[in-house]
Amino acid sequence: MSATAGRLGLSAAVLAVLIYLIFPVIVVVAISFSSGNFLVFPPPGFSLRWYESIAGDPEWVNALWVTLKVGSLSALIAVLLGVPAAFALVRHVIPAKALLSALILCALVTPPIVTALSTYLFFVPLGLVNTVVGLACAHAVSGMPFVVINTSASLRSADINLERAAVIHGAHPLWAVLRITLPIISPGIVIGAIFAFVHSAHELLVATFVLGGVGKPVAVKIWSGVQATSDPTIAAASAILIGLAIFTFASAAATQSLAKRRTA
Amino acid sequence: MTEFAAAAMASGAQLRLRQLTKAFGASQAVDRISLDVPAGAFVSLLGPSGSGKTTTLNLIAGFLTPDAGDILLDERSIADVPPHKRNIGMVFQSYSLFPHMTVAENVGFPLRMRTRLSRQAARQRIDEMLALVQLGHLGTRYPRQLSGGQQQRVAMARALVSHPRLLLMDEPLGALDKKLREQMQVEIKRIHRSVGTTVIYVTHDQTEALTMSDLVVVMHQARVSQVGTPRVLYEAPANLFVADFLGDSNLLTATIAHVSGDELAVEIGNGEKIRAARGTSAAAQGSRTVVLIRPEDISLTATDERTAGQDVVAGTIKDISYHGDTFKLDVALGADMLKVKVPRERGAGMERGQKVFLTWNSSVVRLLPAADRTSDASGEDAR
Amino acid sequence: MTALAEPRAAPLLRPALSSRGRMLPALLLLPCLAWITFFFLAPLVLMCWRSLASEGFSLEPYGVLFTSPLFTKVMITTVRTAAITTVFALLLAYPLAYALTVSGGKVRALILVFTLIPYWVDIIVRSFSWLILLGDNGMVNKALMALGIVSAPLQMLYNPFSVLLAMVQILLPLTTVTLFGAMLRIDRTLITAAKIHGASEWHAFRTVFFPLSLPGVYGAGLLVFVLALGFYVTPALLGSPRETMIAQTIMVEASQLLDWPQASAAGAVLLIITTSIAAIYNRYFSLDRLWGGSDK
Repeated sequence: MSATAGRLGLSAAVLAVLIYLIFPVIVVVAISFSSGNFLVFPPPGFSLRWYESIAGDPEWVNALWVTLKVGSLSALIAVLLGVPAAFALVRHVIPAKALLSALILCALVTPPIVTALSTYLFFVPLGLVNTVVGLACAHAVSGMPFVVINTSASLRSADINLERAAVIHGAHPLWAVLRITLPIISPGIVIGAIFAFVHSAHELLVATFVLGGVGKPVAVKIWSGVQATSDPTIAAASAILIGLAIFTFASAAATQSLAKRRTA
Repeated sequence: MTEFAAAAMASGAQLRLRQLTKAFGASQAVDRISLDVPAGAFVSLLGPSGSGKTTTLNLIAGFLTPDAGDILLDERSIADVPPHKRNIGMVFQSYSLFPHMTVAENVGFPLRMRTRLSRQAARQRIDEMLALVQLGHLGTRYPRQLSGGQQQRVAMARALVSHPRLLLMDEPLGALDKKLREQMQVEIKRIHRSVGTTVIYVTHDQTEALTMSDLVVVMHQARVSQVGTPRVLYEAPANLFVADFLGDSNLLTATIAHVSGDELAVEIGNGEKIRAARGTSAAAQGSRTVVLIRPEDISLTATDERTAGQDVVAGTIKDISYHGDTFKLDVALGADMLKVKVPRERGAGMERGQKVFLTWNSSVVRLLPAADRTSDASGEDAR
Repeated sequence: MTALAEPRAAPLLRPALSSRGRMLPALLLLPCLAWITFFFLAPLVLMCWRSLASEGFSLEPYGVLFTSPLFTKVMITTVRTAAITTVFALLLAYPLAYALTVSGGKVRALILVFTLIPYWVDIIVRSFSWLILLGDNGMVNKALMALGIVSAPLQMLYNPFSVLLAMVQILLPLTTVTLFGAMLRIDRTLITAAKIHGASEWHAFRTVFFPLSLPGVYGAGLLVFVLALGFYVTPALLGSPRETMIAQTIMVEASQLLDWPQASAAGAVLLIITTSIAAIYNRYFSLDRLWGGSDK
């Protein structure tokens, strides 16, 4: 098998897989702009009516607000707890480091239904069901791994000697961490926070159990909508979430290049 | 030992390490190191990677806490003093200048952190320091606008601005190319002579250590192998490791053939007996030993031109390489292979396969202990 | 060993020090671990507890579970679906990951972006889009009929096919990135060496690269399998009742039947299975390697 034939075969395979990956996303976005009534692709015409109906529907607007509140709060908690943990894991010698790492990451491999059910059973006696704070606390657990992983990566590539240079020349160690190292690793922290936020915005099962009633977030509303109606409002709501994903992706990339330019 | 200016004695601290020990998990990084550094001295910690020199430096700086042992600065223990209170200056291999501050702000950093100097007084100090490192005109630039050598000089200015009595340098020239390195070595020595502070300088480059230091501490496998002036270390190494690590060396296993008073003769691999300097090692007849002969101490002739009192051995040239100012030859002596370094004119006529006669002064044949804790376990011949 | 000046006094040996230094890492980790223990581990323990104690200690829910033909069927379906998904995800991710490994900067970045964007679209949307595509009026059927391949729309929804199609697509980005990470660690000079000694491109790949990539394949496979086991949205939306997976059963038990002990028991079983697999993974591959952590 010649090299070029192999390369062509590989390129073809890659292209096919990429189309398989991307296409459904394009479908949903396209339908959200559809002027037709049914979930038909390709859409018959262009229209913003589904976005308008979402904007005008207080339930949808409220859901978006809830998603934003829960997402931001859980990302904040994840950062406040995850960044120090990353420092501990990267900079210090700790017994059973692998075990502790695994503990932090295990929220990501646990089946969501198990997390959802157990969290609900735990929250009921605590009175945390149907509260934004409760859901945020639960989401913070799965947001933490993202923050820890990204902050750790940043920390590992940062030059520790910069912090040491500050300390040896008189700066208090905490000052050096806050004023020297933290700005350097902030891209990693921001990316982790963004990942945590997006994860919370997409999360369905825990949200259904904990906040599935009156003040439900967007993901839950989409899910009930998907099973009930068949008009493209759902597609529009989905497209908003996609837009959110792309926006966060872009801001993460922008943060990266900004940081690179500053320390070049 | 070189003399120190009286002023130097006053501005440098005396440093003592007492049985300093540090382990990381199962591996011993620093093993009961004791050292006395005189005030104002320029001392190198020299050794291969993994020898413990950087760990020792980090212990002195306070970034690591010792498992056992003590560090004394001017006879006062600082092992419990946090690094930001030790009033030490430090220069790193990667310069570690704060990227978002100008050169002047970088240099003034220790003043802002440690002192309450007025802005004017601080300004003056900064200018003094920049002048000392000959960068007076670059105060408003940012580190990324400077070359490597300039950045390192800024780092030195920053380290010295608050007049610390101890300056630590962690392989500061490692990132520079050869020419620049040699220039900076001269610079650093000049600054040291002006300021007079005590310097601990970590390097793996033996030439650097030999040319710059008042004292060299050779480290090997977490221990101190030998401490001495460059000349003592090179000309009178105390063990196999130091003999092998510094400069080129011929290390021949031999048996002590004859001891009488100041005279010593050893039998080398091919059965010949040569005379050796007594040195300080106890030598018993019949015991195994290793002798060191430096390649540049060996003379090479095509014919047997021995003079009385000199040993001569015959050998065959196996390889010659040209090094510009010298020729380096590998000469086979029976089972041993000797490295010989001769000036260019000498080596010009030599060829591979040629039979030659090697001769030297018996005073350059040094005895080393045959087996040593601080040496590599092999008492192998050179090569 | 000569020190320049031998210490005059006897050596002062001081015991290890600064308790502050020792405590710092613990202090940094504690809030994070405490939070996880309280908001994640404790609930899991509670759930297991509830599965055992409804009116006093009783293994009844487990008994019902293991003797129930429905539960057995659902578990088999779940494991089977997860296994098939894993196989196909690996099959498709491998060439993609390989392309990423051998590509230069710009191409690699492009492929990576395209691979990762779907990851950020939520599961509901991605499953939902297949509803649109595969429906009777969907694009695939329209194309097939237009090309004359079929005369009536194919039933492509609400069967194992649609579930698998969507699940593989959803898990593909993660599989690809995990495999890519593993492939990056393979020393490419080995392949160059093989080629210099006469191996063709394909031969070098087959005998050098592929065997070296197998540990990465197993690792990625384990990970995908664990995640696939817990899927809820995709089978619920795109499958028929015959394709019900365990997460759906638990959901029904909990939210409709309100049978907490039963739901908890099923949850506990699922938890034990996934934890065991993850533990095996961690033993051989280390979870934090997935995202670039240092090698154990």
